Amino acid sequence: CLFGAGLLSLLLAVESRTGSRLSDRLQHLPLPILLRLGEQYSIQLDNSKQDPSPVRSDLWSHGPSPAATVNRALQLQLTQRKVASSEGQQEEDSAEKEKRSDDPPISLDLTFHLLREVLEMARAEQLAQQANDNRKMMDIFGK
Amino acid sequence: MERAFRERLFFALLCLSVPRRDCRYIEDNEVIQEELFSVLNSDLKRELPDASMYRRPLRCLDMVALEGQFTFTAARPQRGCASFFIAEPNKVFSLFYDHVNINCRGGDFIKVFDGWVMKGQRFPSLQDHPLPLHQRYVDYCNSDELSRRTGVRSSQNVFMLFFHIRHAGDGFTITVRQHLNPFPCNIISQTPEGRFTMVVPQQHRNCSFSIIYPVQLQISAFSLGRRSDPALPKMSVTGCSEAGDFVELLGGSGLDTSQMSPIAELCSSFNGPTQMKIGCDNTVLRLVSSGRFVNTLTFSYNLLDQHDLNSVDGFCFTE
Repeated sequence: CLFGAGLLSLLLAVESRTGSRLSDRLQHLPLPILLRLGEQYSIQLDNSKQDPSPVRSDLWSHGPSPAATVNRALQLQLTQRKVASSEGQQEEDSAEKEKRSDDPPISLDLTFHLLREVLEMARAEQLAQQANDNRKMMDIFGK
Repeated sequence: MERAFRERLFFALLCLSVPRRDCRYIEDNEVIQEELFSVLNSDLKRELPDASMYRRPLRCLDMVALEGQFTFTAARPQRGCASFFIAEPNKVFSLFYDHVNINCRGGDFIKVFDGWVMKGQRFPSLQDHPLPLHQRYVDYCNSDELSRRTGVRSSQNVFMLFFHIRHAGDGFTITVRQHLNPFPCNIISQTPEGRFTMVVPQQHRNCSFSIIYPVQLQISAFSLGRRSDPALPKMSVTGCSEAGDFVELLGGSGLDTSQMSPIAELCSSFNGPTQMKIGCDNTVLRLVSSGRFVNTLTFSYNLLDQHDLNSVDGFCFTE
């Protein structure tokens, strides 16, 4: 009983510290990360039938609210390019070609730097949610 | 519910969460955050009321590392959105459409890609994925009613969602679940540091562990499930051409392992640390397996510090 109480108090202490650090981190994550994003990215479709003129969006923000920053930062334009035809021909025989969708494969142009930034945000969200789940579990055990 | 009964139920759920077959090959990996209560949470989430499911809006460009329900509603025409999903290495995803309000005939689409694709490069590569490329893209608009209800399942711990919605107010809601994968193959690490053991149990397949950071890598053990062949070198920079089972160390600036540069290959079993510093944007350990043996590879990695990165000119160095 004493061990369980000690474990419970330890877990609550760890979770509360983690939660407060994470909540602080989450509050500051979106705006600084997006303001640093002076990078361009776009989604490219491999279909020549659609609009072929690529328009890249500048993600730079000029200091509005976080929600507006996100909206401006996430203006993407679909562009198209042909997929390497030799790659498709090597992997498919005639039977698979009949089954292939008419829709072209889609790719996303993104730098590793930006990918790591959003991955870090996702990890912070995951840890915050884990702390929240642990707190709920402790509440259940405590009843 | 009485407390004593609840505790017994939790313990039973914990025991049932461990797979029964090939348990000796199930490794405790530090990169997997499988604490006691996180395991209980995974099982209990299926029992808890729907109100306790994690929910949030989905952004046009997003990365999600959680299971839950995600809703995207277009505030204005959204042409070209993509969401990355990543789980812990020993998990796979299943995606279900709860509600979809898009105009397929008007050009809207929602596509699920089994893996990640960036700058035309896909992970896993075409050679390493069990499905042909056209089957890895699942288009909601081209799916029948049964397929939409059944949902989509990923083959590894990552997948992507592409969507294009022309009318403000249209959108969709999806539920994403994570499931245990006892023998993960083709993994992207969520973190720049960790420790992992990859096991390929007599399967003729190639499995990659991708770390999208420049890292210091330490390989502590590599087992081919048989006695090491003294005729084969333990490590070779020229290739293990005579070995059907070996490990490749790859480095590059993209996701596709087939387009990455080979740094070294491990040809035969050994115990003992082998350490390397790989200053590439993407570092991959690829375990090539013939299917004749149970192959295991244990390694750890941590982010290269700024001193290591600044000390060498050029891109993608090894040491």
